[in-house]
Amino acid sequence: MADPERGAVRPDLEEVFRRDYGLVVGVAARVLGSADHAEDVAQEVFLSFGRSTVPASDARGWLSVAAAHAALNLVRSGRRRARREEAVASASDPLVPDVADTVLKLEERDRVRSALAALPRKQSIALVLRHSGLSYAEIAEALDLAPGSVGTTVRRAESSLRKELIRDASSR
Amino acid sequence: MRHPDEGLLRRLLDEPAGVAAPDREHVAGCERCLAEVGEIRRDAELVRTALATDLEPDVDLTGAWHRLTTSADGVRSPSAATPIGRRRGRTLRRPVVVAVAAALVMTGAGAAAANGWLEIFRTERIAAVSFDPADLNALPDLAAYGDVAVTGDPEIREVTTRAAAETATGLGLPEPTTLPSGVDGAPTYHVADEVSVTFTFSADRVEAAAADAGEELPPLPADLDGTRVRLSAGPGAAAVWPHASGVPALIVGRAVAPTASSTSGVTFETMRDVLLSLPGVPDDVARALRTFNADGSTLPLPVPADQVETSSADVDGDDATVFRTRDGTVAAVAWVDDGVMTVVAGPLGDDEVLAVARSLE
Repeated sequence: MADPERGAVRPDLEEVFRRDYGLVVGVAARVLGSADHAEDVAQEVFLSFGRSTVPASDARGWLSVAAAHAALNLVRSGRRRARREEAVASASDPLVPDVADTVLKLEERDRVRSALAALPRKQSIALVLRHSGLSYAEIAEALDLAPGSVGTTVRRAESSLRKELIRDASSR
Repeated sequence: MRHPDEGLLRRLLDEPAGVAAPDREHVAGCERCLAEVGEIRRDAELVRTALATDLEPDVDLTGAWHRLTTSADGVRSPSAATPIGRRRGRTLRRPVVVAVAAALVMTGAGAAAANGWLEIFRTERIAAVSFDPADLNALPDLAAYGDVAVTGDPEIREVTTRAAAETATGLGLPEPTTLPSGVDGAPTYHVADEVSVTFTFSADRVEAAAADAGEELPPLPADLDGTRVRLSAGPGAAAVWPHASGVPALIVGRAVAPTASSTSGVTFETMRDVLLSLPGVPDDVARALRTFNADGSTLPLPVPADQVETSSADVDGDDATVFRTRDGTVAAVAWVDDGVMTVVAGPLGDDEVLAVARSLE
């Protein structure tokens, strides 16, 4: 239970949390490609929200944008780490087949995340929000976009992502 | 009419109602736009598939909310937050001892639950009695001497707030003003109702037990047969600060300490002496218990001598007993004031539980 007497956490936190936690985890999971760290991201996001003065009516958009940002940052830092690990791994023995199969699936997943993280931030967030079920109006509000330009932003993101994925796949 | 831009066509896929009717009509009759919509749809589907998570998040809302409020508190009072790593190892090693401490608080006293015949009184003080654990195991079942009936629900249940715990038990559940480092967040609240054990003494069974044990039976008071003794403990309430590991990090509990009443005029001293002379009670246990004052107000808490050491301390004017496991992993302090016992326990140092005890308000 939040203790309202200590005053530091907004009183509507629990209500918003129960309403939107699943959504926020879903946004993070789409960016990260798995549920593994999505809940960690969601926890961070709600901690920030608890200390914020964002109106409850804007919470859905605010939380979704924050989750997408946090998760994209995680993908970027993860990619840096992965490159170092790759460099180390390339010096060692070739992988046995069934392990290689698993690694391929993981690479497929990572390819999508990397491509997503390489998009302009506004595009990647609009894309993730749309595929997480937010309406065009909600996305416009959350990202401070003109209502008519959400479709264009999402479309450009999808187009770039498709090209990125195809180029990435053919260069392998 | 000019062709709608790709943003509009994209929205047409998701929210056709959000696209103006003339645009919709145009697209429906325009080959070029339909072809573009087809391409946009393929890209959207590809991305939808790429972003789909293989594991749909199976969210445990209650657990997640608990985690959030726990860390929210930690963030709010950073001075109390940090050295969790150090605690974790200590906490995990002795969960059983803490669980026992919790049970002790909730039922009034472990002794009351395990060996009801010891508490023929109203508890005003507690005293630790060190037993060899082997002796404790050897203590006879009360049912060997008469009929035992338990009334009341010994189940411990969780309530949502401190106020609810206090309402349910009629006890003021004190709140610590300082928490040891490593303990933070909001506690959960638990209550247990009053539990009574009614014992009807049977001279026949005592004789049978004596015959089984091959012991000489001391002369029993004539009015003892059929005497009913009612032992009661609780209700009790406790605030439990959880730990990430799931083991309590701190317990603050309060309960109505055990009382006993009897249906005949048998005095505490008589009952005590009879019980302690019964077959099956080890001599050194009987000796230790007989040394208690005869006013029927000191609750002996059996303590395994090889694992727990005890000392006394003062908590705001009350004589308190401090329990500490010999390996230093768990400590507890308990005291009785006006028939109500308060216990502070946790995987902490004895100085830490005392500090919490003295900060209760």
